[in-house]
Amino acid sequence: MTTLKLTNVNKSFADVQAVDDLSLQIDEGQVFGLLGPNGAGKTTAIRMIMEIILPDSGVIEIFGKLNSRAVRDQIGYLPEERGLYKKLKVIDTIAFFAEIKKVPRKEAIPAADEWLHRFELAGWRDKKVEELSRGMQQKLQFICTILHKPKLIILDEPFTGLDPVNTNLLKDVMMELKNDGTTIIFSTHLMEQVEKLCESICLIDHGKNLLHGSLTEIKKQFGQNRIRMGYDGKADFLEDKSLVAAYDDYGQYVEIQVAENVTPQQVLAAAVKQTTIKNFEIADPSLNEIFIQVVKN
Amino acid sequence: MDKTLALIKREYIQRVRTKGFLIGTLLLPLFMIVITLLPVLFAEMNTAKKKTIAVVDLSGKISQPFTKSLSSSEKNKLGKSVYRVEQIAINANELERKKEELNKEIKDGNLDAFLIIPADIFENNRFEIYEKNVSNFDFNAKMQRYVSATVTRLRLVDSGMDADLVKKLSRRADFKTFKVGKKGAKEESSALAFGITYVLVMILYMALILYGSFVMSSIIEDKSSRVVEVVISSVKPYQFMAGKILGIGAAGLTQFAIWIIVAALASSYGLLLAQQFAPGIDNFLLPSIPAWVYISFLVFFLLGYFLYATLYAAVGSMVNSTNEAQSLQWPVISLLILSILLMMGIIRNPDSTLAVILSLIPFFTPIIMFLRISLGAAPLWQVLLSIIITLGTTAALVWLAGRIFRVGILMYGKRPTLPEVIKWVKYS
Repeated sequence: MTTLKLTNVNKSFADVQAVDDLSLQIDEGQVFGLLGPNGAGKTTAIRMIMEIILPDSGVIEIFGKLNSRAVRDQIGYLPEERGLYKKLKVIDTIAFFAEIKKVPRKEAIPAADEWLHRFELAGWRDKKVEELSRGMQQKLQFICTILHKPKLIILDEPFTGLDPVNTNLLKDVMMELKNDGTTIIFSTHLMEQVEKLCESICLIDHGKNLLHGSLTEIKKQFGQNRIRMGYDGKADFLEDKSLVAAYDDYGQYVEIQVAENVTPQQVLAAAVKQTTIKNFEIADPSLNEIFIQVVKN
Repeated sequence: MDKTLALIKREYIQRVRTKGFLIGTLLLPLFMIVITLLPVLFAEMNTAKKKTIAVVDLSGKISQPFTKSLSSSEKNKLGKSVYRVEQIAINANELERKKEELNKEIKDGNLDAFLIIPADIFENNRFEIYEKNVSNFDFNAKMQRYVSATVTRLRLVDSGMDADLVKKLSRRADFKTFKVGKKGAKEESSALAFGITYVLVMILYMALILYGSFVMSSIIEDKSSRVVEVVISSVKPYQFMAGKILGIGAAGLTQFAIWIIVAALASSYGLLLAQQFAPGIDNFLLPSIPAWVYISFLVFFLLGYFLYATLYAAVGSMVNSTNEAQSLQWPVISLLILSILLMMGIIRNPDSTLAVILSLIPFFTPIIMFLRISLGAAPLWQVLLSIIITLGTTAALVWLAGRIFRVGILMYGKRPTLPEVIKWVKYS
C-alpha cells in the first residue's frame, strides 16, 4: 500500500525553483531516505508534505487521501529547525505536543515516562527545557514526534548533533518503529546511515528528482564496476583513460570506477605490473560514490 | 477545538506563571490602596499644619463666640478644626507690649496671624489683622465674616432679642456650584468621580497596549525559537493565532478579576481600614464605582483587546525580532495614543457630535466609548451600535490577519514590504 505519493509537485520562492516537478512514491512500512546536497529542496518538499506551505502545482496524497489535514494527527514530524518551549517542563512539553495531536494528557503522561526512561531523560522529567543540553533537547523533541504513535514519521536531519551512543539509540528506536509497521521518511546528507537503514531512496538536487527507487535496484543500476584496492608503489595506470573512468586515490588505497567495456581483470593485470597489491575487491558502488557521481553530473 | 484548547491552556499557564504577571497583579491593587488612603494621609498632614491665630480681645466679648463659631464651621475633611485659636484677654495698656510679643512669634513661625479687637468695636466697626502675608484674601475675608457675624449677633442680643432666636436667624446659607453647559445647567461632577474615570481609562489604555504587545512578543518568541513549525504542522494557523489571543486574553481577564475583587473589598472594607488610620473619617473619601462601570470596563477591554490583539498578531507574524517589530507596531500603538489624546476634548464635551462620531470609530471605540459611558454621556443605542461596529471590524481583521499570519509565521529573513504583504493576503 502506498503511504505517500507526490505527483509533479512544483514550488518556487521569488526567483528560485525550490522543488521542480518532483514525483515519488513511498510504500507502507518502508524506511525511506530523502537525500540531496544542502539547499536541494528536501526541507521544502517535507514542508509541503506537512502542508505547512502549499505547492504551486502538483498533487500530494497521504494514506491515499488528498488533504493531509485530515490525517495529520497520524503523522509525526521532526523539523530540521528544532524548537521547544524553553520555560515549559519536560513532561509538560511532551503532554502539550501530544494534546495538539489529540492524545489526552492522561494517556500521554505514562507513555511519556516510558520514553523518557528509554532515552535516559527520566531524571529531567520535571526540569525546564532550557536546562537541558542540546542533545537532550533533540531526544526530547524526538519523543514529542513519536508519542502519539503516528503511522508515518517524517524526520528532517534526525541525527545531526547527536553523539555516536545517541545516534545508535535513535537508530534502534527507528528500527523498532519500522518493525511495528511505521513508515519512516528521513532526510539527510549522511550516506552511511542511509545505506544501513533505508530500503528506498530519492536523491534530489535543485528540486529535481535525480534518482528514485529501492537501494538494491539503484546499486544494480550503477553496476558492479567498482574496484577497491590496497597497494604499495606508483600507480601510474590510474591515468590510463582506456582502463579507468574515474578514481579516488588515498595513496595506499584507491577506489576505481572501471571504464566501459573493460573488465576488472584487465585493470588488475595493469596494476600488478606497477604495484604490490595488498588486497583487491570488486564491489557495488557505495551510496556516497553514487551521490557524488549523480550530483556532479 | 481540543487543539485550540491545548494551545490556550499552554499560553495561559505560561503567562500567568511569569514574574511580570505576579508583580503587575499585586502592584496595581497596592497602588489603588495607596490612592485611596492618600487623601486620608493628606488630611492628616493638613491637621498637623493647623493655622494658629491669636485673638487679642480688648472688648472682652468677642473672642469666645468667635472662636466657637470659627472652629465649629471651618473643619477639614476629617472633621477637625482648621484653626487653633489662642484667646488673649488683656488691658489696653498692655497692648503694645503684647503686640511686640506676637509679632515676634509670627516672625518665629509659631503664629500665623493675630487679630486685635478694639474695645469700641461695637461703635466703630473696625478690627485689625496682623499677618506675614497681608494679601491672603481668602483668610482675611473669612476673619471679617466671622468677626462681623459675631458682632452682629451680639448687637442683636444686646437689643433685647432672645439669644436662641438670634442663633437660629443668623444661620449661614451654603451653596453648591453648577456648570452651565450646552444642555443646560449640570451639577459639576466631583473631582473624585472624574479621577476614577481618568484612572480607569488609563488602565484600559495600558492594558490594551500591554496585552496586545504580549500577543505580538509571544508570537515572535515562538518564531525565533522555531517551535512554530512543529505546532503549525499539527494545528491550523488560525487555531494557533486563536490560541495566542485567547490564552493571553484569559490571563488579562484573570488579572482584572483579581483587581476588581480587591477593589470591591476595598470599597466595602476600605472604609473600616481607613478609619483605623484616621478615626472620624466619612464615607466621601472612598470612590464607590457603580457596577455598570465595571461591566462596561470589561466589555470594552475585551472588544479592544480582540481588535488590537489581532493587529498585533499580524505584526508579530511578519517580523523575526522584537527590534524589527518596533517600527511596524507604530501604526497600531498610535491609534491607541490618539484615543488618549482625544480624551481631554471628549471629557469637556462628551455629548458633542464629534465625540459621538469618534466613539463609533472601531479603533477609538474601546477607550472613547468607555469614557463617554463612565461620564454618563452615551445613550444605549450608541453603545450597542459601537459594539456591533467593533465586532464587525474585528471579524474582518481576523480574516485579514489570518491570511497574513499564515504566510508570515513561517517566513524568516528579511521583513516583508507592503506590496509583499498585500500579495500574501491575495494568494494565501
